[in-house]
Amino acid sequence: MTHLKILAAAVALLIQFATPTVAQTSKPSDVGFGVFTFTSGPAAAYGMPGRNAAELVIEQINASGGIGGVPIKPTYVDEGQGTEGVVAEFRRLAADPVNQVMIAALSSGNCLALAPVADQLQMPTFMWNCDTHQLFLKDRYKYVFRTNSSTVPEFIASALYLLSVKPDVKRIAIIDPDYAFGRDAATIFKATLKALKPDVEVVAELYPKLGSPSFNTEISRLVTAQPDVIFSNLWGADLENFVRQAAPRELFTRSTVILALGESVLQRVGTLLPDGVIIGVIGDGWWMSPDAQSKPQTRQFVENYRKRFDEYPVFPSFKMANTIYAVKVVYEKALANTKGRWPTRDDLVAAAKNLKTETLTGTLALRDDHDGLVDQIVGETTKDSRFPFPIMGNMVRYPASLVTPPVGVDPIAWIAKMKPSILATLPKPGSYK
Amino acid sequence: MLANYAPLIVDGLADAALIFFVAVGLTLVFSVLHILNVAHGSFYSLGAYLSVVIGSFVAGRGWPVLSFFALVISPFLVTVALGPLIERTLLRWTYGRPEALQILVTFGLFLILEDAQKLIFGVQPYSQDTPMLLLGTSQIAGIVYLNYQLLLIGLAIVVAIGLRLLLKRTGIGKLIVAVVADQEIARALGIDASRVFMLAFSLGVFLAALGGALASPTVGVSPGLGAETIVLAFAVAAIGGLGQIEGAALAAILVGLARSAAIYFMPEFQPVVPYLVMLAVLLVRPYGLFGSIGLRRV
Repeated sequence: MTHLKILAAAVALLIQFATPTVAQTSKPSDVGFGVFTFTSGPAAAYGMPGRNAAELVIEQINASGGIGGVPIKPTYVDEGQGTEGVVAEFRRLAADPVNQVMIAALSSGNCLALAPVADQLQMPTFMWNCDTHQLFLKDRYKYVFRTNSSTVPEFIASALYLLSVKPDVKRIAIIDPDYAFGRDAATIFKATLKALKPDVEVVAELYPKLGSPSFNTEISRLVTAQPDVIFSNLWGADLENFVRQAAPRELFTRSTVILALGESVLQRVGTLLPDGVIIGVIGDGWWMSPDAQSKPQTRQFVENYRKRFDEYPVFPSFKMANTIYAVKVVYEKALANTKGRWPTRDDLVAAAKNLKTETLTGTLALRDDHDGLVDQIVGETTKDSRFPFPIMGNMVRYPASLVTPPVGVDPIAWIAKMKPSILATLPKPGSYK
Repeated sequence: MLANYAPLIVDGLADAALIFFVAVGLTLVFSVLHILNVAHGSFYSLGAYLSVVIGSFVAGRGWPVLSFFALVISPFLVTVALGPLIERTLLRWTYGRPEALQILVTFGLFLILEDAQKLIFGVQPYSQDTPMLLLGTSQIAGIVYLNYQLLLIGLAIVVAIGLRLLLKRTGIGKLIVAVVADQEIARALGIDASRVFMLAFSLGVFLAALGGALASPTVGVSPGLGAETIVLAFAVAAIGGLGQIEGAALAAILVGLARSAAIYFMPEFQPVVPYLVMLAVLLVRPYGLFGSIGLRRV
């Protein structure tokens, strides 16, 4: 009998752990957010601005009463530990009923691993950075949303800008990191050029390992290939190293270079770059954009960030900040729907569906497939006497609707159907000021 | 025709120079102590970190030329602080014990040093490119190279010749050679073998830290640099023949040129090229290019 009791207790305990914990409906003392980003290793150069922004925004929200009067309690998780560790941390945090929302993740690889886990654990998860278009390409997730754009509009925008400022381009070279993000970017960039300017020749394609400390041989290879244009979506410390090594070797003056994530390193290595390097923010998160500057809340965020961290926020900071503010809006909508009852996780998911909200830098809309619609800003490095680093000039803001394939459509097939006449209908470089 | 391949050769040799510094230290320690030191990569990253920190300090105070001094002093500091200490306190207890135990001890040391670096220097990447920028650039076959890259090739040659001269022409070198040839006879002749072990290990630490310091102006320094380096150094040491200085030099050149050629002609293969070279060499010469079953020399 005693054994039976022990067995029954064990089964009860197992059921308790095996069943996803559903949020309490009474108002909690804290609402826990798991915040996933890289805070170690080469990717931290990109991940820390995201974490810094999270810290600042959560402090600001808590100082003004939290969410529905409840303060946010963040738990930061370092994605530098690898996907296995990240998934384990996600599961651990999800098991704690205090944690109601996950802001995850930076790495596309981690996002792809976490999405099914989020659904399995019924944990509302807002992907603050992950760019891979693979996320919602074939799979549908009830609890997963991307408050960000994907690789498709981001790198279509790079190609469109290039064709606007350099319509006579003939030879291109590519240097991207050797994983899904780099390979996808190259595919999308090449597909767009093939559709809009089929005579463009790819003269070199290099995919150095993510985290490579040296690009010197790759730089020589790029120079020998004599391309008109070099496209790169290197990021984090890889991008910084590439700029440091390539600039003295005149790569940026021999070819037109597109650094699709270049804004994130302008303050650190921008002085090495000449004017005219094409720079992206993969989204609309440029702190000096006309939209950002027109909003008092954004100007205040920029000022607070600069005071606290001794640098201006970069676009990963805005991706994070915009996501947390969007989650706050989701909560407010859910609280309105439940008429004051503290929302469950399913209430949050219902509130997030087809969300449209203002962000610090523009607008965010969540589609039926939970993917985000965000405009794309592209520009060129321009010296500005107000700052000791170049800023973005000759900017264009491509509306999300023009550069994002519809729900359920194969993005590469959609790109292939683009006609060169589209270039005449798009906003022109320099039009966003 | 040669001009077409000049960039490939220059890039390959510059790459080889950096690999050589690490691999030769590893192979030297193995030849004297018979220990495959997994922690060797940590000395490389420590040299790099310290060089960046000191270089940034002096450059930030308006003495950019002194950043060259940082490249030289950092390996000395790492060696003085850690070389004798680690050899005397950790490694000496493993001499004559099973190789698996020795590897576990140095692996443990590697983990400790990697975490210690995170504690001391943090987890964010560092960089300090003042020496690289100060030296300017040169054109070879139409391609702009950093003079610093060319300097590294020269320094690697100097170190290789210097090491050979040290072992052949100096008293300390002859003692090392004697201990490597036959430890028991060397002891019987009155040579203090344990002191030779300490010296050889410290020299290995110095070479690894020197490699890290010299690499630091051209590469970013962040956690994980040591692990990445040691894997490549093992491959190079195995290709050359463990314990063989000339072997390490030739293997570094082979791997450097092969990596460079891969980037030019088959970029997809670049990450695996060092290991393909290792596989090819070991299939033909299982003890490496310069190694053999009974060979006992350095």
